[in-house]
Amino acid sequence: MVDLVNRPPVASGAPAPAAAGGPTRPARRRRHPLVAARPWLLLGPALAVLAVLLLWPLVRVVLFSLQDYGLREIVSGEPNWIGLANYGEVFTDPTLYTVVLPNTVGFAVLAVAGTVALGTGVAVLMASLGPLWRTIVGSAIMVAWAMPAVTGTYVWIWIFDADRGIVNSTLQALGLQDDPVNWFTNRWTFYGIVLLNVIHHGFPFVAITILAGLLGVPKEMLEAAEVDGAGPWRRFFSIIVPSLRQVFAVVIILSTIWDFKVFAQVYLMPGGAGTNREALNLGVWSYVESFGQNRYGFGSAIAVLLTLVLLAITVVYVRTLLKEEEEL
Amino acid sequence: MKQRALPIAALGLTAALALSACAGGSEDGGANGEGKTLDVWIMQGTNPNSEEFFEEVSAAFTEETGAELNVEFVQWADAHDRFVTSIAGGTTPDVAETGTTWTAEFADAGALAPIGEYVDGEDLRGDLVEGLVESGTYEEELYGMPWYAGVRSLVYRADVFEELGLDAPESWDDIVAAGEVIKAAKPEMIAFAVPGDAEFPVYPWVWGAGGEVAEQDGDEWVSGLDSPEAQEGIGFYTGLATEHGFSSAGATTWKETEVLDSFAAGDVAMALMGSWTPSAIVEKNPDLEGKFAAAPIPGKDGGIAPSVLGGSHLSVFNTADDTDLAWEFVKLMTTGEFAEKWGSQSGYFPGQASLLEDTMASDDPLVAPFATQLVEGGASVPVTPKYGAVQAKKTTNTAIQAILSGQKTVEQATADAAAEMDSIMNGD
Repeated sequence: MVDLVNRPPVASGAPAPAAAGGPTRPARRRRHPLVAARPWLLLGPALAVLAVLLLWPLVRVVLFSLQDYGLREIVSGEPNWIGLANYGEVFTDPTLYTVVLPNTVGFAVLAVAGTVALGTGVAVLMASLGPLWRTIVGSAIMVAWAMPAVTGTYVWIWIFDADRGIVNSTLQALGLQDDPVNWFTNRWTFYGIVLLNVIHHGFPFVAITILAGLLGVPKEMLEAAEVDGAGPWRRFFSIIVPSLRQVFAVVIILSTIWDFKVFAQVYLMPGGAGTNREALNLGVWSYVESFGQNRYGFGSAIAVLLTLVLLAITVVYVRTLLKEEEEL
Repeated sequence: MKQRALPIAALGLTAALALSACAGGSEDGGANGEGKTLDVWIMQGTNPNSEEFFEEVSAAFTEETGAELNVEFVQWADAHDRFVTSIAGGTTPDVAETGTTWTAEFADAGALAPIGEYVDGEDLRGDLVEGLVESGTYEEELYGMPWYAGVRSLVYRADVFEELGLDAPESWDDIVAAGEVIKAAKPEMIAFAVPGDAEFPVYPWVWGAGGEVAEQDGDEWVSGLDSPEAQEGIGFYTGLATEHGFSSAGATTWKETEVLDSFAAGDVAMALMGSWTPSAIVEKNPDLEGKFAAAPIPGKDGGIAPSVLGGSHLSVFNTADDTDLAWEFVKLMTTGEFAEKWGSQSGYFPGQASLLEDTMASDDPLVAPFATQLVEGGASVPVTPKYGAVQAKKTTNTAIQAILSGQKTVEQATADAAAEMDSIMNGD
């Protein structure tokens, strides 16, 4: 770690290290500006590619969000500036506060908590298994991970299908309900199914990442703690969790970003594409409000807001992490 | 929407003349497409034999004009997005099949080339199906060449009806009576499917009760979904599920494709389905062949309730290098031999009135009722470029689903839907 952190300043330092080659003293003096620019020259192509592929589209989205940009503007190429009117419309729409934000944020909190909890549990289980069973369990959860979101969503739709789904037929066979229930028309059961789907699809990544971290926790420390009389819960929260802080941070940030912008798993559900207005989340809302209606400026405004929210969450996470690190 | 029934019968008179005029005119001018290639997008899934069909068209086109034909098949589901991105990038095809509700939208965006002159030049104007001309016209100019049309009617299980001694319903009361008998005799069947995520099976009930979806009043569009007539129609339709229990819990979130699947699985006794579905039903389940029939959708007290006339245009994009050549292809496809062949293969009705007359003479129990519906009760959704936005927002679907799931009353749901429609159609 220390090595990695220290190396770059040396490499980009102004005075060229002797190891870098054999230019004579006077020559080195003359070439000084070029040498200073060398890291940038090396980075140049990559930065140019990033700028074209990432930065320019980002700038374009921001520019679109300040326009009333529709099919007509696309064809004519004429800009149509309207200032912040798109943002005004987003913030004054009651749907945002009563449906879209609660669904998005509430769902993300539950999904991240569920994914990380289940993933950690599976990782701890796998860490205590022998190589054979670890491989078997690992392969099994990889299947859930490898399944495309669309396929996975349809499997859950079938499971909860009102007329032929296994859930309804089981509940009816057990006498717990008389008539078939359509689980997709109620906001809570709708998101309950999405939650199952997303956690099922997301926990393998968490499990594998945390398992990798777990295997790196020094055995001696755990053994010493056990000798000192610490039970399994104490060992987990006082040794494993602190030493895996970085891993948890990465996993939580990534899960938050993924679960915030969940789209296919909601859009493909029965009623999820806009007919069940109580089930809209930020991603689906922006899609039906903007793309279906060719209002790309409005959609861009929502996209910019979503990016800013995710950026803010990430910054807060990273800052608290760095602070804790300093305190340690 | 003042004039809903399509004056096709009247058009038929000029048909024979018009047809012979254009067939005979292998005019010297035409288009010389030697060495050129015409790029065409066609929607996938309409015609099960489309690959073979276009091989034949391609050969005929090359023979006539010397130009090559490059046909690309596009999924209906992705097509709108692909059109938009290609319009943005200036990479649109020369000619494409456009759904009837898209043509005005793309024309409004300035992406299409007007074809009125060509149509008049061939003297074809009087021989086109009126409803398709209406939806292909934007600001007095024709942008979409009528290609084919389809219409939804009542499809029912003839074997079940016969077994229980029932006749095809001719009024709303008949539907309820038949439904009660089927429900009592075959409780495992869905007596009448009421899908909660489909808009086109809703409007016949609105119109059948004397209501309107939306009407133009000067420059303004006013939704009629909250009128007492429309509420009565929607109340009857959703009541088939909520009051009479003819539908199923699952149908609350069904799309039309799921109605088709369930009908093909033999679970549904009555449903509103398109004229293109019988062949798909038999393909999915050959056992059902000959066991189902169609009937025009009954109005409240009898008669025929209007049903949405859907279908496709062929549109020429303004990026086409050679619009004469593009028109040659459009003409080849939408008139005469190939138009008729496409219709018979796909189960759609041709957009040329004279060809439609021939189809109507058919006595096939799965063709004739649809043809009757098309001619005597074919209607159009509001012709405004904004209507696509209403569809994208699923305004009507939302209302029906909310009623079926018990979230809203009929009055509440229709009032909300009408308000939303008004704001979208009159927005800018």
